[in-house]
Amino acid sequence: MIRVDAVRTELSDWASVLSDRAKRAGFQYGHLTVRRHAGGERMLEALLLDVESGSVEVLSAPVPAGTSEFPSVTSVLPAAHWAERAVGDLWGLYAIGHQRWKSLLLHEAWPPDLFPFAIAQDGRPAARESYLMVVGGTGVHEIAVGPIHAGIIEPGHFRFSCLGEIIANLEIRLGYQHRGVEKRLTEVPWHHARHVAESASSDTTVANALAHSEAIEGLWDLEVPRRAAALRTVALECERLASHLGDLGGLAGDIGFALPAATFGRLRGAALGLCQTLSGSRLQRGFICPGGLAFGVDDKRIPELKADLAGLRPIVNEACELLLENPGVQERMEGTGVLPPHLAKEFAMVGPTARASGSNYDARLHFQHALYPGHAVEVASEAAGDVLARTLVRRKELEASIRVIEQVLGDLPSGPVITATPDRLPADKVAVSIVEAWRGSLIHWITTDADGTIGLYAIRDPSFQNWTGLAIAARHNLVADFPLINKSFGLSYSGDDL
Amino acid sequence: MLSALIAAAKQRNSTDAQDFPDLPEGVRSLPRLTAEPCLGEGCSRCASACPTAAIKVEDGATVTLDRGLCVTCGACVESCPTGTIAYDRSTRTAVRRREDLVLRQSGSLNDSSPEPMATKAFSRSVDVREVSTGCNATDLEVAATTNAIFDCSRFGIHFVASPRFADALIVTGPVGRAMHEPLLRCYEAMAEPRIVIAVGTCAISGGVHRGGYAEANGVTPHLPVDAFVPGCPPHPWSIIHGVLLAIGSKKA
Repeated sequence: MIRVDAVRTELSDWASVLSDRAKRAGFQYGHLTVRRHAGGERMLEALLLDVESGSVEVLSAPVPAGTSEFPSVTSVLPAAHWAERAVGDLWGLYAIGHQRWKSLLLHEAWPPDLFPFAIAQDGRPAARESYLMVVGGTGVHEIAVGPIHAGIIEPGHFRFSCLGEIIANLEIRLGYQHRGVEKRLTEVPWHHARHVAESASSDTTVANALAHSEAIEGLWDLEVPRRAAALRTVALECERLASHLGDLGGLAGDIGFALPAATFGRLRGAALGLCQTLSGSRLQRGFICPGGLAFGVDDKRIPELKADLAGLRPIVNEACELLLENPGVQERMEGTGVLPPHLAKEFAMVGPTARASGSNYDARLHFQHALYPGHAVEVASEAAGDVLARTLVRRKELEASIRVIEQVLGDLPSGPVITATPDRLPADKVAVSIVEAWRGSLIHWITTDADGTIGLYAIRDPSFQNWTGLAIAARHNLVADFPLINKSFGLSYSGDDL
Repeated sequence: MLSALIAAAKQRNSTDAQDFPDLPEGVRSLPRLTAEPCLGEGCSRCASACPTAAIKVEDGATVTLDRGLCVTCGACVESCPTGTIAYDRSTRTAVRRREDLVLRQSGSLNDSSPEPMATKAFSRSVDVREVSTGCNATDLEVAATTNAIFDCSRFGIHFVASPRFADALIVTGPVGRAMHEPLLRCYEAMAEPRIVIAVGTCAISGGVHRGGYAEANGVTPHLPVDAFVPGCPPHPWSIIHGVLLAIGSKKA
């Protein structure tokens, strides 16, 4: 369980209090959203992560009825700029003083008066705004890409302003995958909610299911059996392994190096086979549930898993060398798409993206989930912040994942995999779970009301923090390098759009 | 380059030896109805376990199961005391008509013969454009059909970068409001004849997102659909099956 401390402030002091508290040593900005009490009152809430002690702090300020504004913190805490825009779309609350205020999720396709979380007593919502920044000057031209992309990938719109072949600015418009996940999570019975939570971003099924389950368990202070925690760890690392292998294949493909692209594609398939042997599903859907695991793992399967993993390790190593020792690959990756470390920090970026720009933050070292932080993980960190650094971090991480899986399977506790859960959620409780998903730390944040219903279900996907990094890294690069830079960030559209 | 050649030579053929193999024991696949009679006596454990209301128990003991709503969580199979609902090991799970996804234990399935194919022009080779509108699960499995394990190009299936090149459109995900117009414009950009394949439970019905404010209720409110591939996500072999079925291939 992650301890949650509550801190109250007033809306008038919001920006200064939040900024000061977020900038304390050892703290990391987590998320910002709005919660509604059963009585109808809105609370503006920010989540701050105390990385040193492994606890979190929720800063709240009441928003008076009839108000459609709140003071923006973006100018002093840029990490919140994305979340403030989402609050505008979903709640009709306008962040006064936001330098790049515009819609994040709901654009022209949506009815202008639709604010999914707003109710009549909130007052008149702030108008939505959609624009794409125009770069002026002689010879500047625009390239529009998407929402439907050329590959088998999710939709989003990129607008490049270019000088010749050089990207001067990249505007990213998302929201095409908005399905109303956070609202749906408050509508369904809690024991069915895990299937919705997994669908937040299904390439991150395990991490979402784990974060969901640990947050629900946190509401009751429920412990899961040791065997369930161990198998959850294996599941999480298998997902990381499969995903990083897929990304390395994608990077090889975008460079045009067919052999490692095909090899990593096949290895990803082998890793999904591991996932299927472990959990009964290639993407491990429906495996993790509040209380433990929905399905046990027969001890007879463990030797099979170990043997498959042992068979995978040397081929993975060989494929990585084939890719990374190729001078053409190094030439394409080195110095391309640099995300400067100070900006990665300023925007509170997470995961391999941040660690490739000097960050040491890995939720597995700091926050309780599955067997972490008890299980040793080395931080895979690089300083250069370029495509090569992000690739090297992935390689180190997948090697570490194989080690962790071997360790945990080698010492797997016996016993049950599920603890019985009560029928109802407890009233007036807050629980936060932080899971190091393969893209970075994933947060699920639940608050229940006095009647035991979910009043807030917020998901902060790692990509929600990291999309800004792609816009920064693309600047001053060749248009032709963008696919490679984009792949090196490997961002989720559905996790952002929810 | 020599090292690359050696590495390539060392890799053995990794393509599945058998087409449309049955899924192994222990895999949570789509549910099917067996010949075992339902317990009756008001038992509706399967229906209440189902997160998407895909199952109904009518007249006390007649089970109806809509695979077009199923998220393959296995809750119904695990909760059924009589083995009336079991996992379907087959990967040939695509159908041409929406109603054929609804399984009934007693009484006949839809026994009318399906409508004739809209076109047989692509029965041996088809160029496919994919439009994703969902959580990326089905997209990953569509992408997996192109890898060396499934190698869909063996069946004449090729993925192309533009609707202008495409004969068939695969749609994944529940098609939320912001994708209504892009999807339609993509379809309209395709030359006729053209076919549409709804891949994954979300594309068929909206899945867990059905009925929300995002109007994410699948493809059928927007486009005519030639084949449906249920599953959350469907297995890559089932996706290949769906494409072959939609083009009228003999290999389906």
